[in-house]
Amino acid sequence: MTQVAAPAAGPAPAAAAPRPAVPRRRRRGRAAPYLFVLPALLLFAAFKLYPIGWSFLLSLHRTVGGAETFVGADNYLRLAEDPLLWTALRNTLVILVVQVPLMLALATGLAVALDSTLLRGRPVFRLGFFLPMVTGLVAYGIVFSVLLNKDYGLVNWVFGRFGADPVPWLTDPMWARISLGLALTWHYTGYNAVILLARLQTVPRELYDAVAVDGGGALSAFRHVTLPGLRPALLLTTVLSTIGTLQLFDEPYVLTGGGPDNATLTIGVYLYQNAFTYFDFGYASAIAYALTVLVGLLGLIQFRLLGEKP
Amino acid sequence: MTDRDSAGHPARRHLLRMGGGALALALAGCTGSGAADAGGSGGKGDPRKGRITVWSWQGPAAELKALLPKFNKEFPDIQVTVEDIGNPAIWDKITAGLAAGGQGLADVLHIGVDYLPGYVERFPGGLADLAPLGATAHKDAFAAGLWQTVCPDGKRVDALPWEANSAGFYYRADLFEKAGVDVGALQTWDETVEAGKRLKARTGAHLLGIDKPASQPDAANFFQLLLQLQGAFYFDLEGRITLDSPEAVRAMTLIKTMNDAGLVSDLAGGWNALMSSLKRGTAAVLPWPTWFGGIIQEQVPAEAGKWKVRLPPAVRRGGPTAATVNSTHLAVAGSSTQQAAAWTFVEFALTRPASQVGIYRGKGIAPALLKAYDDPVFHEPSAFFSGQRKGEIFLSALKAPSPAVNYTGDYARALKLVTDAQSQVLLKGADPAKVLGEAARELARQTGRKAAR
Repeated sequence: MTQVAAPAAGPAPAAAAPRPAVPRRRRRGRAAPYLFVLPALLLFAAFKLYPIGWSFLLSLHRTVGGAETFVGADNYLRLAEDPLLWTALRNTLVILVVQVPLMLALATGLAVALDSTLLRGRPVFRLGFFLPMVTGLVAYGIVFSVLLNKDYGLVNWVFGRFGADPVPWLTDPMWARISLGLALTWHYTGYNAVILLARLQTVPRELYDAVAVDGGGALSAFRHVTLPGLRPALLLTTVLSTIGTLQLFDEPYVLTGGGPDNATLTIGVYLYQNAFTYFDFGYASAIAYALTVLVGLLGLIQFRLLGEKP
Repeated sequence: MTDRDSAGHPARRHLLRMGGGALALALAGCTGSGAADAGGSGGKGDPRKGRITVWSWQGPAAELKALLPKFNKEFPDIQVTVEDIGNPAIWDKITAGLAAGGQGLADVLHIGVDYLPGYVERFPGGLADLAPLGATAHKDAFAAGLWQTVCPDGKRVDALPWEANSAGFYYRADLFEKAGVDVGALQTWDETVEAGKRLKARTGAHLLGIDKPASQPDAANFFQLLLQLQGAFYFDLEGRITLDSPEAVRAMTLIKTMNDAGLVSDLAGGWNALMSSLKRGTAAVLPWPTWFGGIIQEQVPAEAGKWKVRLPPAVRRGGPTAATVNSTHLAVAGSSTQQAAAWTFVEFALTRPASQVGIYRGKGIAPALLKAYDDPVFHEPSAFFSGQRKGEIFLSALKAPSPAVNYTGDYARALKLVTDAQSQVLLKGADPAKVLGEAARELARQTGRKAAR
């Protein structure tokens, strides 16, 4: 770029001297990248930066008698004392600690299976496991709520054929958590498996051959070749799943509405309730910022724990 | 209200509203028609000309549509589009529109009493003041207590009442007869609990059903009914918290007594569970308001003659048996550029007995307009309800003294705490006074409101 910016050496040209033709093309060349990214930048500024900034301002205000009043850090101080927020945080962390590792283990197994040359019709299976990801969040939430209905659901009907009592999938606190975990696992396992599979295909085959030559079995190959090879992809899926879980909204909102007895209330649902049910936009914004900090912190911890060691 | 400060800069409130709008846009998306700036003063446009949009849901939307031919005969130059937004989707859509400074809102909005005070309090100017348009002239036309709901300060009129539902006590007369209980003689809920025990022993049916884990917010409907029968609610008229009042503890204790005696069936799952229970006959009493009679008739037509209806028993002997448990309203958006034409439509739909009679015939929607009840349709005997004059029973409740209920802008928050408290009582056997006390303290902490005592 220096050759473009450097002025011509020698005395300044006379005022009447004609401007050289080259700089104009160069100027246009310099502006072009900015022009190309301008639409994206404008959209980003209008629909991301602006709301992010305003929601921070909102988080410092509270509606009192119809007027927005500056309350400083009050909304943030409320967070610490709000039992429902702690319930939502606890529920979210339970999903994070229980469902995410189970799902990623399942996805890893699935990726290995889908990569295996022993499996015939692999593309069909890959497509089949990825399809849930394409399904609309609300649509699949509604399908699950119908399937898991205690009185009319297909699942309880099938159980009933075997003489089992109907399971209160969505109306008992413990079963509601399990139902939510099932729905999430169904939806996201294939997606994570595809990411892991992509990484798995870059692992050199020679390493497996080396394990075989050394007399190692399949388990040994998995432990010493597959898992280390998957490490970056596992980090990515773990971080993505963590962010997704912390922001979890659609599934609990559609399936259980956060109930019963707040058993599936997540931070996302609680944020939504504060904004659109209680009209408390200031507090909802404070929750959003607290959530952002939490996502950042957990992401950092995961990078530290799982990332490449120097 | 002004949107600019003395220096001519946009006022902070305006900026914040824009910010709220941006948040709403980012979270919920934004749609269509409507004008730009929230005004709220009323009187915009021509009262006989214009193009307006009305937002309502399901049945009421259909009935408003059915009114249009007659409306257009009188006002041919007002073009009305009624949109069925669905319930509860309509609340999110109105909230997003109001938070966006009125962007995308319809001109006429159908709003329930549980949302109206919240909208008025949180979004000043979001709804037009109907007083300058002539609403005050209809002040005495509606059932007791409702004018105070739409005009709390005695000046500004936020909406006009449409539907007024009184508490009802629908019951399976055949089951009670089998149990040897004279339902008409039950004066209090304590007596009803005793009758319920007998009913359960002789017929196996529960007394009533409640959505115990509160899968839907209306799980607290019965609790609210018991409160209102004592002239109480979550807030007093000054907006102070009364969630843990002796009346509230008494109501929750009654519910616990019924539950502990095995008289309450679980309606977990909300509406579907309720309909299933109705069809299976698992509960002998449905303590639902006026509009529910039509639902029973529709769902179990074969049970004609088995059902009867009365007003609920009193909580305390000699106490009230009438309560207006919910109402809905038509408001005009503050952002509408066609407020005058919108008001013309609202006035036509809600203040003319002929319009309300038509709507009642179509969907059984009970009008708040007292004059509508002069029509014979409200006085006909019902074949389904054993020849009872159902309309007259509820009319007597509407005419009874009914204190105004102050929902306040924090109703949704209070309701959430109440349904949580009730779930703890019903599922874990918690002490009513303790959970209500905790709920009241939490509500005070969250809202900054003071307790009444």
